[in-house]
Amino acid sequence: MDVSLESALNDPAAGAEQTGRIVGRPLEDWNAAYAKVESYFHALRVRDKVLLGRLVIHVLKRAMRRAPQELQCPVTELAAEEMDLVVTDWFAQVLQESPAGTDHMLSTRGRLALLLADMPGKWQEQFLRPGPWPEAFVKAMRDAYLRAGPDFQLSKMAPRPLDLGPIATLTQLSQWSYGKMVFIWIAFALLLVAIFVLTHFPFTH
Amino acid sequence: MSSAISDASKPAGGPTPAWAVYPGRPARRAVRLFIFISSAMLLTGLVSMLFADLLWRSGWTNSSTILLVLFVILFLLISIGCLHGIYGFILRTFGDPDQITRLGDYPSQSIEGVSTAIVFPICNEEVARVFEGFRATYLSLERTGQLEHFDFFILSDSRDADKWVEEERRWCELALELDALGRIYYRRRISVEGKKSGNVRDFLNAWGRRYRYFIVFDADSVMRGETIVDLVKLMEAHPHVGLIQTVPALVNAESLFGRIQQFANRLYAPVFIAGLNYWAQGFGNYWGHNAIIRTDPFMQYCDLPSLPGRKPFGGQILSHDFVEAALLLKENWQVWFAHELQGSYEETPQDIIENAQRDRRWCQGNMQHGMVLFARGLRGVSRIHLLLGIFGYLASPLWLLFLITFNWTLWFRQHTGLSVITVRALTPFLKLSGTEHAFLIFLICMGVLFLPKFLALIDLAMDGPRRRAFGGLRRATMSALAETVFSALHAPLQMLWHSQCVATILLGTGVHWGPQKRTPDGIAWFEAVRHHWANTLIGILWGTVVWRIDHATFWWFMPVLAGMVLSIPLSVLTSRTSWGERAREHGLFLTPEETSPPSELDTLRVRMALLERSGAAAPPPPDASIAEAVLDPYVNAIHVSLLREKCLNPDYRQALAALGVGTPEVRELGERMLSKGPEAISGPEKILVLSDADVMSWLHRQAWIRSSDALAGWWQSSIRQYAR
Repeated sequence: MDVSLESALNDPAAGAEQTGRIVGRPLEDWNAAYAKVESYFHALRVRDKVLLGRLVIHVLKRAMRRAPQELQCPVTELAAEEMDLVVTDWFAQVLQESPAGTDHMLSTRGRLALLLADMPGKWQEQFLRPGPWPEAFVKAMRDAYLRAGPDFQLSKMAPRPLDLGPIATLTQLSQWSYGKMVFIWIAFALLLVAIFVLTHFPFTH
Repeated sequence: MSSAISDASKPAGGPTPAWAVYPGRPARRAVRLFIFISSAMLLTGLVSMLFADLLWRSGWTNSSTILLVLFVILFLLISIGCLHGIYGFILRTFGDPDQITRLGDYPSQSIEGVSTAIVFPICNEEVARVFEGFRATYLSLERTGQLEHFDFFILSDSRDADKWVEEERRWCELALELDALGRIYYRRRISVEGKKSGNVRDFLNAWGRRYRYFIVFDADSVMRGETIVDLVKLMEAHPHVGLIQTVPALVNAESLFGRIQQFANRLYAPVFIAGLNYWAQGFGNYWGHNAIIRTDPFMQYCDLPSLPGRKPFGGQILSHDFVEAALLLKENWQVWFAHELQGSYEETPQDIIENAQRDRRWCQGNMQHGMVLFARGLRGVSRIHLLLGIFGYLASPLWLLFLITFNWTLWFRQHTGLSVITVRALTPFLKLSGTEHAFLIFLICMGVLFLPKFLALIDLAMDGPRRRAFGGLRRATMSALAETVFSALHAPLQMLWHSQCVATILLGTGVHWGPQKRTPDGIAWFEAVRHHWANTLIGILWGTVVWRIDHATFWWFMPVLAGMVLSIPLSVLTSRTSWGERAREHGLFLTPEETSPPSELDTLRVRMALLERSGAAAPPPPDASIAEAVLDPYVNAIHVSLLREKCLNPDYRQALAALGVGTPEVRELGERMLSKGPEAISGPEKILVLSDADVMSWLHRQAWIRSSDALAGWWQSSIRQYAR
């Protein structure tokens, strides 16, 4: 993949054949396409301005090649499709997987690998560059895998029946391990009631 | 990565009696329980006799019977509280060897080969705060050098699409930053069945067998690394312990209300918990978080059954923690409070309204415990824990009823014109007039209420380092006095709210206040009026009635009425962070974590301040996270990868299918979202779209590829954000 700025700008297909138009499409359409492709690379945290410019031009150059044949297709869409193809093809090469076609698995995996390998921080100059790439970069990309959890060790907790029957329990008060203590407290309360009755009721008469 | 320990996870003991490890323990513990409860009964009995005598002297009526019954119940409850303070004070003064941290030599215990999961169940929380608390705990544990024995799980039940995406993004950022992918995990459940207990159960079903222990955190919990390691060592040293509950210190409060609560917790809790541990011993309780749990018995015995009947009592058990502890105890596993372990923290509501909202949830859960109170096979101690939890809320309507009955008695006496003729009774032996008799009971009640606070201050005075950590004895005493005044004003409000909660729960209806509107400094006046107008009105009407009945009684009722009448300014002013700050400047309500913050809390505070300053802590605007999940190449990749991995679990796969994932309708919803913007679909539809990995991948591609006329303006402006 050639991503040099010079080659992009020198491409005859990219030449302006008339004022305000490039390959038959209005210049503002190309500007809009440029902005969109640039936004996507921004979203990928490509912060190196020179690299960013080269990449955008490279994508637009490919879109320009398609533009004369696909007149119904808006320029922004053409450029975005080319951007997607360029990125996915590169993922396929780096990750040694077959190009995905309509399957988005490769794109997801590739983007994730870029993040986990810290492309924005460590490997920006390698992004979309044709191989061979540094071994460490390739290893970081290929080993990247996001795990939400360790391997499952599935089991099934099952609630045990709980006998809530209060009446049944109340009828077996004597079997409580604290039955004796409860009995003592009740006896104590009854004693107080008895004292109260004995000390008060005689005075009512 | 921690090693899998499916076989090793089996406890050495199994379901043999818990006391087998400590011969003689049941008898001692039973004696302790007997002594403690008997003390409460004795105190209640004697004072109740005095009260009954007072009622008798002024002429016995039906109201007297009601008053006496209510007095006995209410006094028993406050005397139990008081005795916790007294016993705790004595034990802290003279030492108590019967604590989990003093039984055996746990510090020398090795945790080599032991794997523990640290789980953070969260649900629609403030995401930045959750992850910063998590970071503080992780870094603290890392400093112990024992990190390899732990795995971390953020277990999300969030139903808010924006929160979901934000959680995923922050998780990945944090894991990458800490170089902890493969140690910090994130899992969001598909259905929220069983709420928090269901969330933990879902974790256990998927990964529980890998871990011998798991430590449950709350969304706002932070724990010191050493404390976490100590908990594991304690579990290793005591193979018959199923659960150890730490006593979390309240921290990070900024409002005046929060700081008062925090101060009260830090000053009084050590004394109270020591008293609680006196009789609970290995038959303690579980408070739902900041606790370590032995996985195997928990999985075996603690899956909660659904209660028969309809809500609010039937259905899922809401306050699961008490019941889980009771089930462990039922199966002869011990449950301990590790109140000596420091370094366990949680946060507290920042204002009266937020506090009441939390109480409302707890109230319903605790009232529901009435259903399991008599469950066959539960230990007596568990029934006491459950009963105390129930009466924590039921006491309020009883208190209200007591006051109303008392007013009724006064009114009736005045209305009928009957004069009070004091007769000879038990008290002539004490040589008290009727007024002195009443005053004596009042003094005893006040003594029982305030003695534990006084003892907590004495306890503080005797501990130099702790005293200094509270800013000195003078400041702590002033703070305790101010806290007492505040709690006296706050208590009547709680009485009204708890009574309302209990009534609505019993009637099967709910009180829904909705989210409250806070200003940066606290509750807005309008908001306070909205929540407290009824309290104020009740206070004014009640005061008028009492004044008309008897002027002298009115002044006795003043503390109760003042809290109600002043509820609006009390709520607003105590919610103010500026007032909290001012109190701190004056040395009021200082806590050890404020005077010398531990590094974990310092990390959290600094990080949160940085995030707030940069605006990164603020919740994103509505649907911003959806834009991120669709447009951001990395966030989308994370989201889709997590969804795909989820499908490896047959339960999740099934749940996703049940949700409708994979059907053409989801693609149609996605199309509608692209052409009309996210506002064109409902919240549950957004969740459905976000749950479909293929549709999310497709949306990412489509949003970037489509020309502007095929996309809603909302997407175009979202894409423009990336141009900057």
